[in-house]
Amino acid sequence: MLPTIEIDKKKCITPFECKKCLQACPQAVFAVAPTKVDRFKETEPEYYEVEAVFRDKCVVCMDCVKVCPTHALQVQAGGS
Amino acid sequence: MCQLCEKYGEGDRWYLNPKNYARPLYKKVEKGREKEPMILDEIRAPLNMIKPLIDLKDKPEAYEKAMEEFTKVQERMIGQVVSLEDAKKMAEIAQPVARIDCICRRAFRATLEDGEHRPRSCLGLGTGMFRWEEWPERYKGGVEFISTEETKKHLEHWHKRGMVITSMAFGTPFIGGICLCDYPDCIAIRMRMDYGVKPFLLKGHQIAKVKYDGCIGCGTCAQRCQFGAIKMEVTTNKSNIDMTRCFGCGVCVYACSQEAISLIDRENLPSLKEEW
Repeated sequence: MLPTIEIDKKKCITPFECKKCLQACPQAVFAVAPTKVDRFKETEPEYYEVEAVFRDKCVVCMDCVKVCPTHALQVQAGGS
Repeated sequence: MCQLCEKYGEGDRWYLNPKNYARPLYKKVEKGREKEPMILDEIRAPLNMIKPLIDLKDKPEAYEKAMEEFTKVQERMIGQVVSLEDAKKMAEIAQPVARIDCICRRAFRATLEDGEHRPRSCLGLGTGMFRWEEWPERYKGGVEFISTEETKKHLEHWHKRGMVITSMAFGTPFIGGICLCDYPDCIAIRMRMDYGVKPFLLKGHQIAKVKYDGCIGCGTCAQRCQFGAIKMEVTTNKSNIDMTRCFGCGVCVYACSQEAISLIDRENLPSLKEEW
């Protein structure tokens, strides 16, 4: 079983600006992207979200949990 | 022979055929995509396409099926490793060329290459680049149009620092970008190496080979290889390139202070000439 990585979107507001988990992860598990894209306009920071894309590469080292300033992250090893 | 060359090369390597840089091709891809811009798909690909795929890993059958589908879709956006020499030829064909922010690094490491805080690494090609202001989110940090000579210097600069050069098709065979890639930031290298999705990044037309006599065992080539193809033989203190794993990017060629590594043509190696 893959580890579970939960991100509380209510606590993680502007992930692209914060970027702590994205840059701390030794396995580069996370990705951040805007939820909408408009013509002639940049997306506001609130319309970004982070996801644990490469969950299968997660080694449950907890570095992301430790660096998250809003305690939005929860990581658990997968059961067998 | 490389299937892409056969289909789109007209006698040369497919990415050296000027027709594959032409605007009509670009327009053809854009048609019917006015409401749902391709650009949104492109930026959100890791979230919308790749994440659900990897979530299926606990269900091997469903995962395999989804991977097959994904591989088919990816054929519309084929990537291939190119040598510095070939990339310079591409620079002579493509007009215009603009330095842009690397969208992969932005997605996976939340970096922003705006030319001020971080140098721009990626290159956007073709008339589509003139429309960059229409999609400022895609071309975040702006674009910098550069000359052919500047493009060649750009390629040299990053390649000599260890980046793999790749040609990227946006609606195969339209070549819309030359990327400067490394693991794990580059989605193409990653999807090929970790998940075996071939069309994301095909191997190049050449392969690296070491002249053992020239190797002094410094290990720089092994350190720089993005594909895990180079090991140091401990007892002889020589570098060993596994040519079946080599993607032919040429990073090791420039890493070697002794000029002991060279690129040879894939088509001259019978067991590897159909390996892409």
